[in-house]
Amino acid sequence: MGVLRDMFTALKGGANEVGEAIVDANAIRILEQEIRDAETAIASAKQSLTRMKSSEIKLKREVATIDADVADYEQKAVKALNAGEEALATEVAERIAELESERGEKAGEQATLDAEVQKIHAMIKARERTIAKNKRELDKVRTVQELQRATESVSKNFAATGSSGHRVSKALERVKAKQQGWQDRMEAGEWLEHQEAGDDLDAKLRAKGLGDSANTGASDVLARLKARQAG
Amino acid sequence: MTLDDLAFRLNEYSGDEGTTFDAFVTERGILEVVCSNDDEFPIHVTMTETQLLSVTPLFSTSEVLPDKQGELNDAFLRLSPAVPLSSIGLQGDTYILFGAMALSTRLEVIAHELAVQAENTIDVLEAVEHLLA
Repeated sequence: MGVLRDMFTALKGGANEVGEAIVDANAIRILEQEIRDAETAIASAKQSLTRMKSSEIKLKREVATIDADVADYEQKAVKALNAGEEALATEVAERIAELESERGEKAGEQATLDAEVQKIHAMIKARERTIAKNKRELDKVRTVQELQRATESVSKNFAATGSSGHRVSKALERVKAKQQGWQDRMEAGEWLEHQEAGDDLDAKLRAKGLGDSANTGASDVLARLKARQAG
Repeated sequence: MTLDDLAFRLNEYSGDEGTTFDAFVTERGILEVVCSNDDEFPIHVTMTETQLLSVTPLFSTSEVLPDKQGELNDAFLRLSPAVPLSSIGLQGDTYILFGAMALSTRLEVIAHELAVQAENTIDVLEAVEHLLA
């Protein structure tokens, strides 16, 4: 059974404080024990696999030796036949038959060993699944415990400041005011950039004698005064 | 990675989105992160063997207007799927906004998630402000 149902019951029942059991301590111990058991089982299964591997190597070597012997005796049997030594050839053939039956037994042993190895691999996989599942379950418990820890200190502050009322609204107002401040500054920055860009343009126009004559020269002033006197 | 490492790296961080962080580990071993886009509701970061948890406590049940808790819970259930990267929950008597990340999450992604969580906090609170005292 998953721990969620356990936790739900506890949390609903008011286990809100850090350190309060949100899951029966036994349930946690069982999950942890199962992880340890599975880890032990996997470790010993891996040792068995190593032993089996050495048996397998030994069997393979023996089969290869038998195969070499059979090939050797076959050649000798043919030679005996060619030499007309029928009785000797028969003796060699009997030896070959013995070797082949021995080889059959070894092959049988190897098949049994293979099946064992497969079983152990499947067992390791199953145990690994148990470990992963239990670790996920424990992580759920740990998550809720951490959420409690992370929430606790602040929620105590809520209790202290909440009495003044509108705590959230006031905080929102402050955040929005700050954000508005940034927005204003950003817009101000953009305005200034435009202005500066505009100044550049005016300067360029003046340089070409096309702008407003912002810097009136002495000659302009004199011309204006003369015009006024004449008028 | 420890929370102290994360605090150090977040304080140094400056991403494309312009959000910066003030982060420190409290005496209780919780990483408190203040995002530049929302300094009123700090995010509390903690970790388990597999995840980083980021929690923003929103308000307590006692701050909900009388008889409005049902409406508020309903609103939160409906809002939750629409809030990117964060979930809304009840921890004890405190409503929280929270997110979870794998411990292997890259710093840029953590920073993005935290910035989004800070933004979500304002959005969510605005949506339910009228139900709070």
